[in-house]
Amino acid sequence: MRRNALLFVALAALLSVAVSAQRAGGAGRGGPPPTPRAAAPFDLTGVWVSVVTEDWRWRMVVPKKGDYSGVPLTAEGRKVADAWDPAKMASDGCKPFGAPAIMRVPGRLRIAWDNDTTLKIETDAGQQTRLLRFEKDEKLAKAPRSWQGYSAAEWDRIISPGGQGVSLQRAAPRVGPLKVVTSNVRAGYLRKNGVPYSENVAMTEYVDRLSAFGTEWMTVLTVLDDPQYLDQPFITSTHFKKEADASKWMPSPCE
Amino acid sequence: MHHAHRSIPLRTLIGVCAVVAVMGPRPVSAQVDVSGEWAATFHEDLAHRGGMRLGDYTGLPLNEAGIRKAQSWDEDARSMRERQCVPHVVTYAMRGPANIRLSKVVDPDTGRLIAYSLQGTYGRPRMIWMDGRQPPSDLAPHTWVGFSTGKWERNTLVVSTTHVKAGWLQRNGSPTSDLTTMMEFFTRYGDNLLVVSILNDPVYLAEPFIRTTNFSLSLSGNANAWGTCSPAQVVDELPDRRTGFVPHYLPGQTAHIDDFLKSSGVPAAGARGGAETTYPEFALKLQKPDTIPAPALTPRIGRVPQAVPAVTGEIRVQPVQNNVSLLAGGGANIVAQVGKQGVLIVDTGSGKLTDNVLAAVRQLSDQPIRYILNTGADPDHTAGNEAISKAGSRVGGGLVVAGPATTGATILAHEGVLFALSAPGGKPASGAVGGLPTSAYTGDLQDVFFNGEAIQLLHQPAAHRGGDSLVFFRRSDIIVTGDIVDLTSYPVIDGKNGGTFSGLLDALNRIIDLAVPEDWQDGGTLIVPSRGRIADESDIVEYRDMVTIVRDRIQDLMARGMTLEQVKAARPTFEYDGRYGATTGTWTTDMFVEAVYRDLSGRK
Repeated sequence: MRRNALLFVALAALLSVAVSAQRAGGAGRGGPPPTPRAAAPFDLTGVWVSVVTEDWRWRMVVPKKGDYSGVPLTAEGRKVADAWDPAKMASDGCKPFGAPAIMRVPGRLRIAWDNDTTLKIETDAGQQTRLLRFEKDEKLAKAPRSWQGYSAAEWDRIISPGGQGVSLQRAAPRVGPLKVVTSNVRAGYLRKNGVPYSENVAMTEYVDRLSAFGTEWMTVLTVLDDPQYLDQPFITSTHFKKEADASKWMPSPCE
Repeated sequence: MHHAHRSIPLRTLIGVCAVVAVMGPRPVSAQVDVSGEWAATFHEDLAHRGGMRLGDYTGLPLNEAGIRKAQSWDEDARSMRERQCVPHVVTYAMRGPANIRLSKVVDPDTGRLIAYSLQGTYGRPRMIWMDGRQPPSDLAPHTWVGFSTGKWERNTLVVSTTHVKAGWLQRNGSPTSDLTTMMEFFTRYGDNLLVVSILNDPVYLAEPFIRTTNFSLSLSGNANAWGTCSPAQVVDELPDRRTGFVPHYLPGQTAHIDDFLKSSGVPAAGARGGAETTYPEFALKLQKPDTIPAPALTPRIGRVPQAVPAVTGEIRVQPVQNNVSLLAGGGANIVAQVGKQGVLIVDTGSGKLTDNVLAAVRQLSDQPIRYILNTGADPDHTAGNEAISKAGSRVGGGLVVAGPATTGATILAHEGVLFALSAPGGKPASGAVGGLPTSAYTGDLQDVFFNGEAIQLLHQPAAHRGGDSLVFFRRSDIIVTGDIVDLTSYPVIDGKNGGTFSGLLDALNRIIDLAVPEDWQDGGTLIVPSRGRIADESDIVEYRDMVTIVRDRIQDLMARGMTLEQVKAARPTFEYDGRYGATTGTWTTDMFVEAVYRDLSGRK
């Protein structure tokens, strides 16, 4: 009898900790959950410039026809890339500025909250606008395809079963980076020399922020899955430096 | 029996629950587990991650010094005996075409995380210390992996690295100096690992250099592992090369540097790198390449601020190895070897802080100071001789019954030091001179055996000046160089007192001959310069190469009929000025160039 009482007390204590842990990662005590804007673990707003220290020869200049080095193209993808005609580049329009490629295009980003649930990214290169929606909108997700497609955003949550080493205890989920899943895009180019992605491409991005040597950086890890033109996920990571203002903003349309 | 079987898990469960209840909800110490086997993905910079071509510096924010150093690099440098075992330096290693293994290192007693170890990438295994330990002193040697500490910021492991040897950004000679520091950010996104590396090099980078490298979780792959590369495995890959041969290209004569332009179609202005080329505006400029101004040499500069000033007022003690320590801050570096027989001192500093030097020695040993060895005659090496000698006592020779040890430690040096101190400038000193060598050797070497160790003074004729000695601790495996190596400056050549450039270069090559590194060209023989941190053979190779390259350039300019002033204007030291140069003070870059010029022209 005494043993059962002890067990009951111990389990009650454990349960109270588990509940407390869940509250720590949850919405608070009774109030509405914070908006995505209010819940942002870090601030992405402002002007960011791409610093092209990687893939320079494929980003800063138009690569030679057939140079798709590093891109895991399928045979079909290579065939399409080889068919690109540099003489007709002017008619490519916004094909190199679609969502799967735009973060790799040298330029500046202007990021701001459009409303409490939508983060807006504007680019000066190609003058594109990406809307990262924290609230699902099935209607928009099925709208006609566009260069920037439909982007579903969330503050990624990192679940840690087992908490502090005791399997019965649950630690509070940790808020991670900004995760963005984009679909419903128009087919376009990964590089300006006609390296293709199809309209069936699915893109997952993780956006983060860091600070080093007195400079603020934003990083974007991009994973592209394209069953038509890629034979494995195409993974790139792109970095942007924070700028004080938009004085160097150089809008240039793509159409 | 059944009853007893139940009681054990019940107690355990109660105990665990009680502990957890007491602990309450706290953040976990390792926010996201980054350990595991990670396979590198090569979807970015593919051409830069195998071998890399001369002339392709695209995307590198090098300054003009960095660009010029890269353009003088010759691929044959990898085949030098002293460089064959060099692994991928940490400033580049994550870009190597290989997988990595991140493992937790846990204290077996407490279960706490001490460090992450990182293997693979063709570099040497690294430790990322998580236990709060501080970096070593700025007097400590540098290694290819440097010293790394880590901490968590949100879901990212933030790693700071210092104490890295001079290395490279890419495997085509684009350089990093040994003043480079690095921050890395390891973040796991699902089954992807992103490693952001940001390098800060005040010598060769116009601004911090950022790279992002991607890895994917591998459930089957292994990190690449390498067997050892020991000195015994080094072979002559450059046959018939004379001692001290340093492969490099003279300015404007780099072979095949245009091949990359032809094959890639990249414009020359972009291929040469530079911070400006990494920003979007440059893409617009490339559309009108004629408007891009030709690069110009920047105004002559002095070295960037370095960590070790000559006289600080404080004597800092840095263990070297075995029972030998470096005492820094009292002028030129001082070295103390301690043991049962007493204390042996190499050089005595500027004499301004002798009490502090003696106090530092007393921290190491309470035994008497028996010997002072002088590497040279300059006052910042010898001015403390008299006072430090008086604080010690010499071991008497002859019959033991002759009496107690004589007052004053033995001062031992080459006879050139005795001449210089007793008759400075060739004229007898006016008045009494203290601190003269009590014993001077005349030949090539002088042996000492003290505290169970063979110690040799090796004469280096006409190097920094007349009377230079290297002091070689044979058991401790340490060479004290005196003014033959100054890691904070171009080598000082005192031509008025018998120094010559060629003698100095011979001395540098001799140090390299004497030094034996451990595996992978790290450690082994340690070298204490007159100023600056403790070094090993790789550091001296870097220094010797610099001196040799400058010599070759001046020789080439002279062969083209240039006068001394024209040679100076051509800036033969350009890319080294930020590390070793000076525009003011007792030894300027111009004075170094003049010394080399004089030596090559046969003039004193």
